[in-house]
Amino acid sequence: MKDELTRREMLLGAGALLTLPVFPAWGRAAVTAPTARVSVGRCMNYGPEVLPTLATMFDQLGGLDRLVRGKTVAVKINMIGVRSQRLGTAPMEETFWTNPVVIGGVVHLLGKAGARRIRVVEGPWSSAETLEEVMYSMNWKPQDILSAADNVEFENTNYLGRGKTYSRLMVPGGGLIYPGYDLNHSYADCDVFVSLAKMKEHAATGVTLSMKCVYGSTPITIYGEGAGVDEPSIRPHGGRGGVFHFARRMPSKSAPQQIDMSLPKDAGYRIPRIVAELCTARPVHLAIIDGVKSATGAETNYGSRPQAAVNPGVLIAGTNCVATDAVAMAVMGYDPMAVRGTAPFASSDSMLQLGEGLGIGMRDMSRNEVVGVPVSQVVFSYSAVRDKILAAAAKKA
Amino acid sequence: MALSTESNPMRWPAGPLEIALREKTKGFTAEKAEVLRNWLDPASLGILQGTPVNCLVVSWASGLAADADQQKALKPLIEKGKQTGLSFVGVIENDANKAAALAAARSAGLSAVAMEGKAPADAGIPVIPRDAAAQMSWGADSRVLSISDGIWPGIPQDVNQVGGPTNLPWVDSNGAVLQIARAMAPGKGVWIEFDPPQQTTALTADAYMLGVADPASYGARWVVSLDDGLRADLSAKKQPAMDSWKKIAGMMAFFEEHKEARTYEPMGPLAVISNFAGDDWQRGEEAINLLPRIRQLYQVIARSRAEGASFEGLQAIYYIDPEAPGAALREKLIAFAKGGGILFVPSKWPNPEGPPATAEAYLLFNLHTLGKGRLAVCKEEQPDTYDSVADIQNIISHRNDQIRLYNAPSMNFFYQASPQAGNGMIQLLNYSRRPASDGPLFYVKKQHRLARLVSPELASAVELQWNPQEAGGSELPLPKISVYGAVELEN
Repeated sequence: MKDELTRREMLLGAGALLTLPVFPAWGRAAVTAPTARVSVGRCMNYGPEVLPTLATMFDQLGGLDRLVRGKTVAVKINMIGVRSQRLGTAPMEETFWTNPVVIGGVVHLLGKAGARRIRVVEGPWSSAETLEEVMYSMNWKPQDILSAADNVEFENTNYLGRGKTYSRLMVPGGGLIYPGYDLNHSYADCDVFVSLAKMKEHAATGVTLSMKCVYGSTPITIYGEGAGVDEPSIRPHGGRGGVFHFARRMPSKSAPQQIDMSLPKDAGYRIPRIVAELCTARPVHLAIIDGVKSATGAETNYGSRPQAAVNPGVLIAGTNCVATDAVAMAVMGYDPMAVRGTAPFASSDSMLQLGEGLGIGMRDMSRNEVVGVPVSQVVFSYSAVRDKILAAAAKKA
Repeated sequence: MALSTESNPMRWPAGPLEIALREKTKGFTAEKAEVLRNWLDPASLGILQGTPVNCLVVSWASGLAADADQQKALKPLIEKGKQTGLSFVGVIENDANKAAALAAARSAGLSAVAMEGKAPADAGIPVIPRDAAAQMSWGADSRVLSISDGIWPGIPQDVNQVGGPTNLPWVDSNGAVLQIARAMAPGKGVWIEFDPPQQTTALTADAYMLGVADPASYGARWVVSLDDGLRADLSAKKQPAMDSWKKIAGMMAFFEEHKEARTYEPMGPLAVISNFAGDDWQRGEEAINLLPRIRQLYQVIARSRAEGASFEGLQAIYYIDPEAPGAALREKLIAFAKGGGILFVPSKWPNPEGPPATAEAYLLFNLHTLGKGRLAVCKEEQPDTYDSVADIQNIISHRNDQIRLYNAPSMNFFYQASPQAGNGMIQLLNYSRRPASDGPLFYVKKQHRLARLVSPELASAVELQWNPQEAGGSELPLPKISVYGAVELEN
């Protein structure tokens, strides 16, 4: 790993990003990052209570109308990992994936607020299937989402999809790992970008919330293990680990290449930076986190980790993804100011800290306004669940 | 004892010819030769007592000097075996003098011989065709066929092959070959041969149990073949070996106790039609190998039988051969599509029927509207097989899935239905031989009156609980399974 700042990190004011247990004072960008309002709603189940809870939260944020009226909105959902690998008998939408009731509710309210077109986007694992097909395979009813508002469509953004070319989105300031990304047209052909994430922990990056959800926007045809060497492959094959996590290979040469080939090949270094810079290249206008039901321990079922399906009973939304994720971390029982070496960032850098460094937003709870249900009333400690599982396992052993 | 489709074969390596053949191979030792001599002893047949094994497959002639000695040396074993109800099949291979070998087989009272290629007209003894699956004479005049190039089932040990594009680990299974065999030679007994992998550590009993279950679940029989170490230990009556053998025989017995399953028909919304011969073999076999890994239920129809086959209940047909079908079959396939089905055809399909369906864009197939259904013409002449089946599944749609499987990455499953009563059976094979962290979970669209799990790993059948789903269908959580289980569905 590198001990020194790269020139770009210095320029971006991202601070010393590795090895230092305590972060030095943030540079220029940290100071200029915007503060924001984040709304917290209590919602214990995926029943009829979801829609009014979301509506209240959006009102608390100042209303969706001003954000989406007459606009094309892209809603990035989370359908991570192998869809057939549940956590016990709990369906994916109650553990690792954004729940369809929440998706439908958000789509409905976007439509009601005057969105001209709503495109629900995601790149499900290694697949060129339509999102409708992925949903059918999970016993969802995609028509419930499609009919939740006018002009709703789905797009699998793992590949070119309905686009004729990939859209290049550059990272302001030059980037930390890549200077820019080639993405499915849906991420450029939108006026408003919504990250509709799940409230989860992540094996490599500590947490996966609205910022990390954007990571899955990158097409597998360019950034997957089976991507074309020179040009994007036609069809997505494999995951992103080979390119993004470990730099075992580079993206297709047609896309912007890594700015410095000597950068660490450590997922805990790379992923948070890729996430942070993606959130500057493709800014999130509305961050929504589904924490009604979720899973602890990791972003998907690892089998070998202490994981459990849980019911935190919370929805979180904000117009700034760093601030929204900071509130979510607090709800999960973590300190949003945590840095590498401190839970949940045991072996990774904090993508929130990096996002703050890039000027996206503030993770300091005192610098943001939290509305709705006080965080103290909805704290659900993910680490306590893990400790309980480990204690039970130890007792059994 | 006469050979029949009910014969349960076991490879019985013994005698001078076996030694002569093995002497040329790496790692052959004096100790191993001694075991091959020991297994000539009629007393060695004792381990078969109380097991389903009723047919021994022995090396008979291989064009070596040891051929005659072998036939002579086997005589006491054959005589004793026949007294206990065993039948014997002699393998004639390589450069053997076939006429002499056949005459010796008749004289020795073998039930049959097994040999490559076409059987001599004047054999005077039943001849089991014994060939690689791609070369098999499916229509040969024999009640039993023996596929000589089966693979040891499991997860490949090569670390570079653990994950395929499906993101489920690749598994080595004989299922595809055996489904083809069933379609190409309906009603015949199918044997499949594969030997234990050469490895430094001893194979565990569950590895053998999977060796039995993989072919047996598809209605075929493994020609049981034990490794040198296990045979040596069985000769010495060592207890761990005896316990392993008991488990292997127990798995065989389980399938005999549930032999009605062999009459069940494979079910699925997709039929794959091919002649499964020559250049078409690999394409067809690979497609059928991949379908279970993407969890697509299917059935196989031999092209030669397709004209007379029923397409009832099918949603889609994949006509896979580059060669266009004859006029009558084409007419039948087009009628299927016009009636609401989806017909997938290769790029060389001449003059595709129907106007292009422009609204639906897929990566590998161009769709044409055809009556109530669709014709899907492949865009590429040599498409990647995985891409083909993935696109086919995408076009068929999951919305009508009858069965889905969760939490079972190293498992394959397939569904069969009884010919009359409409009862069903989902067979489930675990190629890792280790239960996953979470028990398997089935989604079944149509809830049946009763679902129960049967498995040699269970003391008795376990009735399963249906969990009806709000969105339709029911889920069936299963206990953890190490090697094999079957869910019986009763109406």
